[in-house]
Formats: sequence, structure tokens, C-alpha cells
Amino acid sequence: MMNTTIRLGLTASILALAASAASADSTVRFWYHFDNADNPMDALVAAFEEANPGITIEAENVPWNSYYDTLYTSIVGGNAPDAAMVKMFAQPRLLEMGALEPLGERIGAWEGKADLLDNLLDLTAAADGENYYLPVQYVALYLYYRADMFDELGLGVPSTCDEFREVAKALTRDTNGDGQMDVYGFGFRGGKGGHDHWASLTLSREGADLVSGMESEAAVAGTKFVVDLFREDGVFPPSAPNDGFQEIIGAFKAGTTAMTIHHIGSANGMVEALGDKVSAAPVPECGGGHWTAFGDESTAVFSTAEDKDAAWKWISFLSTAGNNTMFNEATGQLPVTKTDSAGWSLHPERFVTATMDSLPFANLLPNRSETSDFVNTVWPVAMQRALTGEIAAEDMNAEIAELFAE
Amino acid sequence: MSATDIPRHAMPERPVRRSLARQVLPYAMLSPAVLVTLAIVFLPMLQTAWMSLHEYVLFRPKDFDFIGLDNFRAVFHDEVFWISLRHTLIWIGVTVPAQLLLGLVTALLLNQDFPWRPLARALIIIPWALPSVVIALMWAWIYDSNYGVMNDFLLRLGVIQSSVPWLANPDTALGAIMLTLTWQGFPFFAVMILAGLQAIPKSYYEAASIDGASAWRQFRHITLPGISGVLVTAVLLRVIWVANSFDVIFVMTGGGPGYATYTLPLYAFIKARTNLDFGYGSALAVTFTILLMIIVVIYLRRTGKALR
Repeated sequence: MMNTTIRLGLTASILALAASAASADSTVRFWYHFDNADNPMDALVAAFEEANPGITIEAENVPWNSYYDTLYTSIVGGNAPDAAMVKMFAQPRLLEMGALEPLGERIGAWEGKADLLDNLLDLTAAADGENYYLPVQYVALYLYYRADMFDELGLGVPSTCDEFREVAKALTRDTNGDGQMDVYGFGFRGGKGGHDHWASLTLSREGADLVSGMESEAAVAGTKFVVDLFREDGVFPPSAPNDGFQEIIGAFKAGTTAMTIHHIGSANGMVEALGDKVSAAPVPECGGGHWTAFGDESTAVFSTAEDKDAAWKWISFLSTAGNNTMFNEATGQLPVTKTDSAGWSLHPERFVTATMDSLPFANLLPNRSETSDFVNTVWPVAMQRALTGEIAAEDMNAEIAELFAE
Repeated sequence: MSATDIPRHAMPERPVRRSLARQVLPYAMLSPAVLVTLAIVFLPMLQTAWMSLHEYVLFRPKDFDFIGLDNFRAVFHDEVFWISLRHTLIWIGVTVPAQLLLGLVTALLLNQDFPWRPLARALIIIPWALPSVVIALMWAWIYDSNYGVMNDFLLRLGVIQSSVPWLANPDTALGAIMLTLTWQGFPFFAVMILAGLQAIPKSYYEAASIDGASAWRQFRHITLPGISGVLVTAVLLRVIWVANSFDVIFVMTGGGPGYATYTLPLYAFIKARTNLDFGYGSALAVTFTILLMIIVVIYLRRTGKALR
């Protein structure tokens, strides 16, 4: 009897040792990008590791500017992370590389699924209907405007492109009489990443479509509208062709521009600089339609991940109520769970309302491999050439049409 | 029996072994460095040449089709290649001479006797010692059309009537970046030329002034020949560095607006790294390397003759 007890005890402890050794092996390498310097990833990692003993998370903050370059090269080089933060525009390429693990079954069996905001999983599904992405945060782009300047000039918030043009012209002025323009109507982002500005004023139009309708009359009219705002009306700052995120946000905060387009991620910074003088509204309706960009961010598990279950546990942890709030505190974007959205108080209400009002017509760029090139090179180069008068609006649209026709 | 009669087979073996060791030793000592160089310089070069003959897009890593010289044919029919080539030629043709001239004047000044000369010599190195990214960001702010000091300065002087968006205007963007690069690179010439100047014996100038040679003739017949060797080397190095450098352009404009500041190395970089088209990017890089080599060979031949 004694012998049996000892033997049982020994077996149990050996089993326990073996089990802990096996689970201690699981390490999940996770890549993400946060601009925020005081990033709470360490706190999230600690909370997860406490709840899941045996899984170690190696979270690495990869600089945004080279995030996708680094990700693609690491996949080709056979050194991909196990899981990472990813955007929709990269999905076709990642699929083409065979890099993504299908998540449909896991999401179906996950208890957090019901708490995800409606239709987020449809928006982030791949062309083949499978889910490879698990949403973790989202935004929609809207119009920021200087409420004080609008009041001063007795202007109303523009709801159509024509009103937008009139308002922008009125706001562009020399306030101190030195012959120099001090305020420009709209801070247009002509550099990389500015396609959302152009798209709101162009793709909204009936008959304009990025993949098949770029050479339509409506699409050309849209591009021409943007070019004319700069070249004819002079309502963008002269530096607009090269301006990127830093420049448009900096100019708006400094009062050099009276309107610009961005998402809620910059709202707290704007309020810090301008207080009640800044407000927000959906982008104007143009040519009979309404279009704004849906800014998505998801997480994915890579097909090369050593322990896919552990990787899934980690990414689903980030999209679970409570944890998701912590995550979005760092990025300044909006949570994907119903529970977290209900009590959301990290942004002033007017910006949350502007986002919600924009969701019905928020769109993603086409889920195609060419979209990366459109975003990174074709759009910025063509837009800059059109803005500086090197090519006409038709030529710009023709270049985009050519890319998607390939 | 004298010492000279020792039969050959009786010669001690040691010297033979020693001379063999002496022959092998240099190779043995050099081989680590050579192997490392082969691995990190020549292997990637060969790989680039090999990739340039293939259709290789990084997001389709399984397709690596041999297409012969198709990439090169495409390069010569590519409008952007010719735009970039033109910019590269302007880029080298203006920047290097401007740096040389500014460097020469600076070196001549620094070679004069004046108080605090060592301090001035140390300060002049600063632009050269700063990282390119810092320089690029600093000058991007100088040129800024809303807050930049350049516009403020020119407005106050009345040279311009309204702010000029230096980097956002295709007519001024390349020139503005070339000015930045000239500022960054002239200390290199100044230091090299200064070293050359100090190697010219003072007695030459004394003899020349006794003979009544003017300052210009002293410069023309003593100073210039004295530093010509340094100049040839410095110009050669600078041509290669300036031709290959795109970090400053990349940070300041990213090639924009449009293609206004595209140079060939930048175009190759964008094609490979941003568009992930490594086949075409490699073809651009190989084409550029060959063009640069031709320029360098011609330059060395001509200056070599002149120096002789």
C-alpha cells in the first residue's frame, strides 16, 4: 500500500514536471506598432502571463515607417513573428505569401465573439470569405474644423463639396494685413498616406470607383476638384504636395489651417492644443455620394507560428473587453467590443459622435494586391505631380486605372 | 673541404620550411578579412546581379522566373529611369564641384594665421560629423514654408514677396536638397585640401615671392600642383559617395513632389523596398553601378594622364 502511494505520488510529480516543462516552452513573438511613448503593452503582457502560466509573450514595438517592409522581409527570410498587428490593405499580399493562419474556426468557438461590434468580422474577412484577422481597434476619418473661426466668419459646417469649397475659400485669409496668407482653409495631405483626403472628395462621387471607374467623368471631376482647390483657389498651404501626417496635424494645431481630415487618434492632442476651438463633423458629401476611410487594425496569427494555440490565446486576449480598453488607451483609437464601447470616456464626446456618424459610409480600400502600391507609390507620386501642374487630373486617374488593370 | 663544397642534399631543411611559411603566412593572416569581405560585399553583389535577371517580387516568394535581360530592357523604356538619371547627373555635376570650390576656399582661409585657428578648424567639421538624418530634418525645417528661417530671412531682406515652399515646388526641390548636401560635404574637401596645403614647403612661396610672382601666380603654379594629388582622390571619393547617397533626399522629400527629386539609387531603393519588386530594383542598381563605373574609369584615365 505504502509502495503504491509513493509510486503514485512519484508518477504524479513527474507528470506535473513534464507538463510544466512542455507548456513553459511556449513563447509567442508578437509585433505591434505604437506611437505612444508610455505604452501599456508591458502591463497587458504581465496580465496575460499571469492568467496563462506557461506562455511567454515577447512583444516587440516595430517602428511604423518600416513596419510592413520589415514584416514582409521577415516572412520571406523565415523569421516571421508568431502573431502581429496588421491592417486590411496588407491582407491580400500576406495571403499571397501563404503567411496567414485561418482563424474562422477559432473565432467561432471563442466566447468573446458575441461581444465584438457588429459587422467588424465581415469587414475584415478575406476575399475567400475566411477570417484571418481578429479586429483589435478601429477609427473612421472625419473632418476636423476650427469652430471659433467658423463662428467668427458666420460659416456653417460644410455638408457638400460645393459648400466645402466656399467655406475653404472664406477661411483662407490674411489676418494681420501683411500681405501674407496666415490661415488656409484646408490642410491637405499630399504626401504618403493622403489618399484618404483625396478619396473622400473623389471616390464618393457616383460612378467613381478605384478598381474599375477611375477614368469615368465623375472620378476625373473629383481629382480636378482637389487640384483646383490648390491651384485655382489656393485654399491649401503651399507646402501641401509634400505634407504628411506631422505637417497637417502640426499646421492645424498651430492655427495655420482651419480644417483637415483625420481620425479620433489625434483628438486628444488637438484638444490639448486648441481646447473648445476644435470640433468635428463627417466629411462632406460629394457628387451624390458619401465616402470616408475606415481605419482598421487587427491581429493575425502566422502560419509559421510554433504554438498557434498560444498565439491565438494572446491575440484573443487583446480583443476581449477590458483588455481592449487598455490597448486603445495607448493608440487613442476606439475599442472593438460592445462592453468597452458602451462606457467609452477616453475621448471628448463630439469626436466619438463624429466617428459614429461616419460609420454608415466608411469604406476600406479594395482588398487587392495592387492596393499596397497604390497607397505607397502610385497615389503619392501622381497626386504630387497633379498638384504641381506636371500632369492633368485625367492623367493621374489614368495612372491609377493602369495599376488596377494589370 | 671549403664551406662552398657542401653538397646540396646536406642543406638544412629549416630555411625551406621557413620560406614556405613566409609565403603562406600573409594569405593566412589576410584570409579572415578577405573572407568576410567576400561574404558581405561580393556575395550580395553577385546575388543582386543574379536577381536582376529574374522576375522576383517579394510577396510572391515562390515565383523566381529567369527572364534574361527583360528587366534591363524595361529599364531603358522606363520614363522614370530617364528622369532619375537626369537628376543623378545634375546631382553629381553640381554638388561635387560646389563642395570642392567651397572646400578649397575654406581650406585656403584655414591655412592662414589667425587667432583661434584650431577652434575654427574643429568647428568646420561639424556638418560632416552630423548624421545625415539629423541634417535632413534640420534643413527640412529651415526650408519649411510656414515656419522656416529661410523664408523669414528672405522675406525680411525683400528678396521674395511671399513664402516659397522650397521642397514642395518641383522647380526648387532638387536645388534645395543639393544646397543641403553641399553644406554637408564641403568640410571633407576642406580637411583633405588643408592637409595637402600643409605638405607644400614654405620655401617655395618664399622663392616665388622673391622672383616677384603675384598671389594668383603662386596659387596657380605652387598651390594647385601641390594639392592636385589630394584633389583627384577627394573628387573621386566624393563622386562615388554623392552618387550613391540618397538618405538626405529620402528623409527630406522621399523623392517628391512627383518625381522631382528622384535619383537612381533612390528609385532602385523605392522599387525594391517599398514596391518589393526586387528583380526590377536590382536591375536598376546594376545599371547604375555600371554607369558609375564608366564615369569613374574615364575620370581616372583623364586625371591620371593630367597628373603625369
